[in-house]
Amino acid sequence: MTLVWGALALGAIYAIVAVGYNIVYISSKTFNFAQAQLMMVGAFVAYSGLVSWHLPWLVVLLIAGVIVAAIAAIEERLAVRPVRDSHNILVTTLGAAIFLDGAAQLIWGTQPLTVPFVGGNRATTFVGGRVYPVELALIVVAVLLVVGIVVFARWTKYGRALLAIAEDREAAELRGINVRALAFAAFAASGLLAGMVGLFVGPVTFAVSTLGASLALKGFVALAIGGFGSFPGALVGGMVVGLVEIWSARLFGGDYVHLGIFVLLLLVLMLRPAGLFVRARERQV
Amino acid sequence: MRRKITLIAAAAGLALALTACGSGDDEPTNPTNTEPYRVVVLGGLGAQGVLADNSATSVLAARAGAAYVNDNGGILGRQVTVDVIDDRADPTVAVTKLREYLAQNKPDLVLNSGPSTITNATLPILNEEGILSFNIGATADSSNPAKFPLNFDLTPGASEYLKGYITYLKEQNITRVGILHGSTAYGETFGTVFGTGLPEAGITVTANEVYDVAALDMTPQLETVKASNPEALVLDAYGAPLGYILRNVDKLGWDVPIIGNSSVAATGIISTPEPDGLLGTPLVENLVMEVFKSTKYDPAATGVNEAVRHMTALGEIKATLILAYNYDALLLVKAAAEKAQATDAQSLAAALVDPAVQQAAGTVIIGNYGFTAEAHAPNVTGEEFAFVKPSAIKNGQYS
Repeated sequence: MTLVWGALALGAIYAIVAVGYNIVYISSKTFNFAQAQLMMVGAFVAYSGLVSWHLPWLVVLLIAGVIVAAIAAIEERLAVRPVRDSHNILVTTLGAAIFLDGAAQLIWGTQPLTVPFVGGNRATTFVGGRVYPVELALIVVAVLLVVGIVVFARWTKYGRALLAIAEDREAAELRGINVRALAFAAFAASGLLAGMVGLFVGPVTFAVSTLGASLALKGFVALAIGGFGSFPGALVGGMVVGLVEIWSARLFGGDYVHLGIFVLLLLVLMLRPAGLFVRARERQV
Repeated sequence: MRRKITLIAAAAGLALALTACGSGDDEPTNPTNTEPYRVVVLGGLGAQGVLADNSATSVLAARAGAAYVNDNGGILGRQVTVDVIDDRADPTVAVTKLREYLAQNKPDLVLNSGPSTITNATLPILNEEGILSFNIGATADSSNPAKFPLNFDLTPGASEYLKGYITYLKEQNITRVGILHGSTAYGETFGTVFGTGLPEAGITVTANEVYDVAALDMTPQLETVKASNPEALVLDAYGAPLGYILRNVDKLGWDVPIIGNSSVAATGIISTPEPDGLLGTPLVENLVMEVFKSTKYDPAATGVNEAVRHMTALGEIKATLILAYNYDALLLVKAAAEKAQATDAQSLAAALVDPAVQQAAGTVIIGNYGFTAEAHAPNVTGEEFAFVKPSAIKNGQYS
């Protein structure tokens, strides 16, 4: 059961990265390859707030969210909005990711830094397995996040507007939806999410300048498995990636982890090319 | 007739004069040469993560070694200058910048701060140019004089570190160990060398597991090792993965002695006190690390202390003295030049394999490198190593 908790916690991290990718994808039909780096910055801000400035946890949660939301907003203005061809946004956001990696290294240094968790930092026994409190919290956060976003998307005006943009951007504009403003807000929201989640991710991963690179690819695999644009899919995709990663290592050895994840991705794409939770639709041209 | 003899004599004299002024490429450099002895240090100062700190320490050590040598007469009277190339730990950048440098200047010595990917990329160039080099990031054949006759590896290989482990394990009466190593080139070598070398020394390896260095959770591998019931865990880890492994051991509730290698010792998080690091936490209670004796502060070690003084006079020592091999490199070159009475690469390389030269060099990071004509790699004894518990680091040394 220890391995299961570890796998689910790992999967929760990948799922949260995938959710961030999805928020931007739905609003802008593109990927923000700096999403994992935004989460890295959130972990560093959490370290600074809790360890260097000794601020209360809730205050740091808000500060981290606001700071990373601001960084994401700046990224949208500089690396996304001026780019005409959406394919080039992949390149510019990748550039933003590299910039954030370097900036984090300059500001916080090269060594990993511990980020304390408000719920305690010692492992405990829970339902037959050993687990850290932050790992349980991550699983809960990931589930609540997806539930919250699904409720927001279906039951609020702005949520439905975002779904409309995802379905048909031009039609949404013609209906009077301020597409540009909502896309910008979604970008900032993905940053807000990344910043706040940093207080949960940092205690597991340490705040380290290489964190973004560790999370970016597996977050994308989680997204691909779940289906682009599906938040429940991102959650399930992340959990599945985490479970495959842990159990591949346990059953076959560390050399087979990437192979296991790759085989999983291949199987899903062969059987459900659009992902587990997205149905491929015909399009009339 | 007389005119013919005169012409022949003049021709002979001209021929003799030309011979005397002939190419000096194959002859030793004039020992009274006062040109600076030009040293180039390759280092990933702009690299990501701990590589930058390690490279900074490596470069600082080279500068300090140069300062010490210059204070003591230089290299056969030639003052040492140090130029630094920031390769960002990227082989493509290293090759580009090295070639740009070589197009303008030919250095006398190149010091390569690693990692091994840089070595792989740059050694063929240095070999082609006939430049003497010392290297921290060893590769499979970097110490092979048949392939790279002018290169000397400064880092002991895994088989050298193994000697220290065998001595320590026998002192501790540990007969069964599990091994956990990373997926890097060095980690894989570590796993292979220790996996075969420990049993040859009579120590059973109960499990030998690898983890991906980009992974965030090594609990599966640790469970596998734990299930094999070893008396101790032999660990290769570097950077954030070390923190993950220590947490995962704690999560499993596994009370096992952990014997970390030099990579563990080079990771700052275990020598940084709470709340920033893990020093002083239960996670490092069972941990010891293999280091050079020079990496542990000893007030009686005058040579090491002098090296530290020279380094701190020039800057901050950001990593441990494990990365300060380049200080020894300059001492070795000085001793080799004094033996060979020359400063060209070939003469120095020939002198460096002389045990008397290595003894005379008075190296401090490693006491005696033990280079031989068959292998330009350190051949050290287990006595060079110590196993220490994590503690605060001051000036690159554990207290």
